[in-house]
Amino acid sequence: MGVSAMSDASSGDIVDDATLRIVWAARGMPVLSSIREALTASGALNGLRIGMGLVLEPKTANLALALQHAGAQVSLHCRGRLTTDGVARALEAAGLQVYAERAATHDRDIELARGFFQTRPDILLDDGAELIRMAHREYPDLVEDMLGAAEQTTSGVRALRAMHAQGALKLPVIAVGDSRIKYLFENVYGTGQSCVMALLDITNLQIAGRVVMVVGYGWVGQGVARHAAALGARVVVSEIDAVRALQALHDGHRVQSLSDAAPDAEIVFAATGVAGAVTRAHIEGMQDGVILCTAGGGAFELPMDYLNALGTATAVRPSVTEYSTPAGKTVLVIGQGDCLNCSDAEGNPIEVMDLTLSLQALVAERIAAEGRNRPPGVYPVGPQIESAVTEGRLRHEGATLETLTEELLAAMNSW
Amino acid sequence: MSLSLPEPTPAAIGTAKIEWVRRRSPVLDGFVRERLGDGALDGVTIAVVVHLEAKTAFLAIILADAGADVVVAGSNPRTTRQDVVEALKARGMTVVAAADGDYESWNRELLAAADCGPTYIVDDGAELTLRMARHRPELFNRLKGVSEETTTGTARLQAMSAAGELPFPAMTANNARCKHLFDNVYGTGQTGIQAMLRLTNRQVAGTHLVVVGYGFVGRGTARYARALGAYTYVVETDPVRALEAHMDGHTVGSPADVLPTAEMVFTATGGVRAIGEEDLAFLRNDVVLANVGHSDLEIDIEALRRAATSIDHPREDVETFRLGDRDVHLLSSGALVNIAGGAGHPVEIMDLSFAVQAVGTHYLATHKLTPGVHVIPPELDNAIAAAKLRSLGISLTQTRANQKEDVKEMLDGGQRDE
Repeated sequence: MGVSAMSDASSGDIVDDATLRIVWAARGMPVLSSIREALTASGALNGLRIGMGLVLEPKTANLALALQHAGAQVSLHCRGRLTTDGVARALEAAGLQVYAERAATHDRDIELARGFFQTRPDILLDDGAELIRMAHREYPDLVEDMLGAAEQTTSGVRALRAMHAQGALKLPVIAVGDSRIKYLFENVYGTGQSCVMALLDITNLQIAGRVVMVVGYGWVGQGVARHAAALGARVVVSEIDAVRALQALHDGHRVQSLSDAAPDAEIVFAATGVAGAVTRAHIEGMQDGVILCTAGGGAFELPMDYLNALGTATAVRPSVTEYSTPAGKTVLVIGQGDCLNCSDAEGNPIEVMDLTLSLQALVAERIAAEGRNRPPGVYPVGPQIESAVTEGRLRHEGATLETLTEELLAAMNSW
Repeated sequence: MSLSLPEPTPAAIGTAKIEWVRRRSPVLDGFVRERLGDGALDGVTIAVVVHLEAKTAFLAIILADAGADVVVAGSNPRTTRQDVVEALKARGMTVVAAADGDYESWNRELLAAADCGPTYIVDDGAELTLRMARHRPELFNRLKGVSEETTTGTARLQAMSAAGELPFPAMTANNARCKHLFDNVYGTGQTGIQAMLRLTNRQVAGTHLVVVGYGFVGRGTARYARALGAYTYVVETDPVRALEAHMDGHTVGSPADVLPTAEMVFTATGGVRAIGEEDLAFLRNDVVLANVGHSDLEIDIEALRRAATSIDHPREDVETFRLGDRDVHLLSSGALVNIAGGAGHPVEIMDLSFAVQAVGTHYLATHKLTPGVHVIPPELDNAIAAAKLRSLGISLTQTRANQKEDVKEMLDGGQRDE
C-alpha cells in the first residue's frame, strides 16, 4: 500500500484518513514489517482465527493487517472510548471482522464483545485481560477449544496470575506484559512520553516548575516521572513498595504518601493499574483546581463514581471535565479518567509499539506452533522471541553489538 | 454519566477557552489590571496583532477593560482560531481576522486594522508596523508607539530605526527578561517538541534531533529534546553560541555533518532559508522538518517543491516531499509548528509575555520617549516576575541592611584586611 495511492485523504473521508495514518505508522515499524514477511512465507498462521482485544488505532491496525497478510482470520474488539473509529472502519474495509464503535455505550461494548466471541478465535491477543476474563465467564466451551492467549499489560498479567492462583485460569497465557522488551520500552518511554505530552496538549499548560504527583512507581510511573521531571516538573512519587520508593528517591523525586502530598499536588497521574488508588479522601485533601488523570491503567484508579455522583460535571474544554466538591473546590479530570494517551490522544509513540506488537506477532506464532500442549498457566515470552525483536530493532537503528568471544566467555565463567 | 456541555456555538467554545486562560493568568488578571487602571488608556485605539488564539484574546480583553478601543488581527494567516474570533466579537470587540485565511486575506486584514487608525500597536514580528509604514504612511506617522513581541520583529524595528524610518518610540517586549528568558526558552521549547510529537506520533527518546540556530528558542528546543532522551545536534554560525551549545552537551556541526543522521530537524534562527536548497541533499529518508522561528520561510519550501517528484499529505499538518528515494516530511507548511500545529505557548508563559506587552504599551502612553527601540525599565520587568512569584506563594529574601556597604567595601579593595 503506497502513500501516493491514498493522497486524496483531504476529502475528509475518515476511512481514507485512517488508512493514511496506518501507512504512516508502518513507516516506524520495521520489525513488525519483517515479521509479517517471515510469517507470510512460513504459513505458520495460515487459516488460524486470531482475536485481538488491543486499543484500536493505527499501530495495532498494522499488527492486525500483518496477521491477516500471513493468512490468519482476524477479528477485533475494543471498548468505544479506546477505539479510533476511522481505523475500525478502515480495517473492516480491509476485510477484518471489527466489533468496535467509538460511540458505543457500556452495554453496547458488551454486546460488541459477545459478537466478537462468535468468531470463535483460536488465539486471543488481549490488552488488560478483559476478553480473557469474559471468555472464562461467558464462553467456557470456547476456552476449552482455544489454543492460548497473550496478555499485553502488567495489570492484565497481575489479574491472570490471581486467577491462576485460584485455579480459575483454563488457558495457557503468554505474559507479553512481563517481557522486558515490552515494559522497559513501551511503559517507560512510550506511555511516559505520550501521557505527559497528552496532558500538555489537552490543557495548554506549562509543566516546568509545577508539582506533579505520580501515584505508583512501576514502569509507567517511572516513565511519567522521568518525562515530567525532564520538562522541569517537581515530581512527587507515592508508593506502597519500599524498594520502589527508595528507587524514586535515587531518581531525584520526592517521595511522600498521597495524603501527605495532596495539598501540594497540581497535577496527579495515577499510574498503579490498581482500582481505588486515588480515593475521595485524597481528593478532599487536594488543592482547588487540581488536575487528575490516569497513565497506563484506567478510570478505575480514580474515584470516578464519587465525582460523577456529585452531579456537578461540566465540560470546560475538549477532554477536560470539571467537578465541584461540596467543600467548594474544583477538580479537573482529563479524558473521563481513562488512560489519557489512548483515550484522548494518539496512544503510544510508533517506535515502541513496533517492539510490543512484534512480540505479540511472534507470540501468536509460538502459540500456533505449540498447539494446546501446555497446561493452563501464565508463561514468559522467552529469550528467543525477545532476541528476535531486539536484534531486529538494533539492526534497523544501525547499532552494533559486542561479540561474545571465547576469552570473554571463559572470563565470565571463571572463579 | 451526565455532562452539562456548554452551548456548542463557536463563541461559547471560544469564551470557555479564554476563561481557562484567565484562571491561569494571575499576572495579567492582577498586577497588570491594577497598573492599567489609571485611565491612561481610556479611549485610546490599540491594535493587537498577535497569533489570534485564547491567550491573545485575554490580553485584548485586559486592554479593553482598561478603557482602550481594541482592534484585533492575527499575526499569521495559519494561526487564527475562529472560535476565539467569535468570542471576542460577541463581547463587542472589533476583530478584523478570520481563520483559514491565506497570505492575501491576511494582508487585507492587517490593512483593515491599519485603517482603524490605531494610536498604539501590540505587534508580533512587526507585521502591522511594517505594513503601515509601506502602505498607510499617513496613519503610520500618526502612531505614537509600538510594543513588539518577537526577536524577529525587534530586529525589523531596529533596522527601521537605523534607517531613520521609525518616527515614534517602540518597546521591545522581547528584550525584557520576563519575555525572552521564559517565552522563548520554556514556552517555545516545550510546545515545539510537543507539536512535533503530536503531529507525528513519533518517539523522542533515542531520536537524532538537529536544532538550527542556538538563540533562546534554539536552546529551549535543544534543552527539552535532550532532557527527553534525544541525541541533540546544533548548527550555529555564531562561534560563541556554538561553543555554548557544545558546553551544554549538544553535538555542534555544519549541516553536512549533522543532517545526514537527523530524524527530526527544528529551525530556530529567526531568519529565512535556514534549511535551504543546498541542504536538501543531506537529509535522510523519513526525516521530519519543523520550524519554531518566527518566519514561515526558515525552511525553503519552494526549494522542496522544486526538488520533489511528488508531494503527499499523509496526516493532518504533515506534507511528504519525495526527493529521489527519500521521503522528507514537513510540518505545518513550515509555519511556527507550536502555534500552527498545536495550541501555542503554555498559558503561564503568555501570562508573563503579555504582561510585558501590556505594561510596555501603558508605559508608552504615560511616558515621553524618544523615537527608537526601548525596553521596559528593569523595575517593571522585576515587578512582573515578583507578581508571578507572589501568585505561586513564593517569597524572596530581602537585601540585608548592611549588604550594600559590604559589597562597596569589597569593591573598594577590602580595606578591612589592611
